[in-house]
Amino acid sequence: MITELLVAILLGLVVAAAVVAALARGILTTLAAFGAYSLGLAVVWLVFRAPDVALTEAAVGAGVTTALFLVVVARTIGFGVPQQQRQNSTPSSEFVDGDEATRVGDAGASEGTRLRTAVTGAVRQGRRRSVVVASLVTGGLLLTVPALPVVGAADTPGFGPVTEYYLTDSATRGIDNVVTAILVVYRGFDTFGEIAVVVTAVVAAVAVLNQGEER
Amino acid sequence: MTTRPTDSPVVTVTTRLVAMFVLTFALFTLFHGTSSVGGGFQGGVIAAAAVIILAFGVGMERTTAWLSPRWLLALVVAGPLAFVLVAFGGILAGGSFLQFDVLPIPKPSVYATEFVELGIGATVAGVVVSLFVRLSGGVDNE
Repeated sequence: MITELLVAILLGLVVAAAVVAALARGILTTLAAFGAYSLGLAVVWLVFRAPDVALTEAAVGAGVTTALFLVVVARTIGFGVPQQQRQNSTPSSEFVDGDEATRVGDAGASEGTRLRTAVTGAVRQGRRRSVVVASLVTGGLLLTVPALPVVGAADTPGFGPVTEYYLTDSATRGIDNVVTAILVVYRGFDTFGEIAVVVTAVVAAVAVLNQGEER
Repeated sequence: MTTRPTDSPVVTVTTRLVAMFVLTFALFTLFHGTSSVGGGFQGGVIAAAAVIILAFGVGMERTTAWLSPRWLLALVVAGPLAFVLVAFGGILAGGSFLQFDVLPIPKPSVYATEFVELGIGATVAGVVVSLFVRLSGGVDNE
């Protein structure tokens, strides 16, 4: 009972954080809400007794991803909009729905106003479209929820004979954390491929980021 | 940029203090992957988080001055290398690819797993730190 209440509160927090992240005007607000979203999910995993996933979600989702986003935003469009400009021009140097951020504040007065209204209109339109798409995707996903098995149902694949084998065999091998045993001992080939993907990703990122940098 | 050193001594002192414990926790997570929660991926990310915290606290320039691109590269390739060693070690010991229990070491499954986990941790930490450094402006052109 108390667990269900806790899960309900946590999921409510996660949904609220997701909505704030999607609709916030300031990029910094979006990033903070996104971090809160990941942290809420991490606690949900913890409640569902998946501490390994919780640790990953907290470290990657709430920690590192937020830091990477901060660095990228600081390098590209920046946070530096004075408070006054922010109040009379709604979306100036904010990054919404992939629209190109325009430094409206730097432009001349009349030109700036025209540009500002254009950007505001584009953002509004894009925002409405994204709200529709997000609602459709959410509705479609919610339709699949009744097909999911009940949490802890005995006839799910998670309780098959292979699980028994993993639990007993990893204990005889001397590995107490079954998750690690599955990742490295039983499914080592998959993990090998996974780490190759991680290395390839950074090689590609470094190759792309080094382009155009005179060294 | 946010990666410039902050003016607040509170932030600087806090990050310096916290980073040590974060790194300790990362190493704990790395080395205890077989006996408790965590493993290579988690430990590596937390270790990288320690570097990122320092970068936000003392500034990007001082952090990158302390990082060596060559060592970062070595860290990045450590995971696949560890995996290749263990995988072909299984074949050399008379078993099959990635077979752990034929390796001629005490408690082969545990220590081979630990070895692979350490490699994965090194790779993940190297990857995250490299991405962070590159995205924030690169190692050399600061």
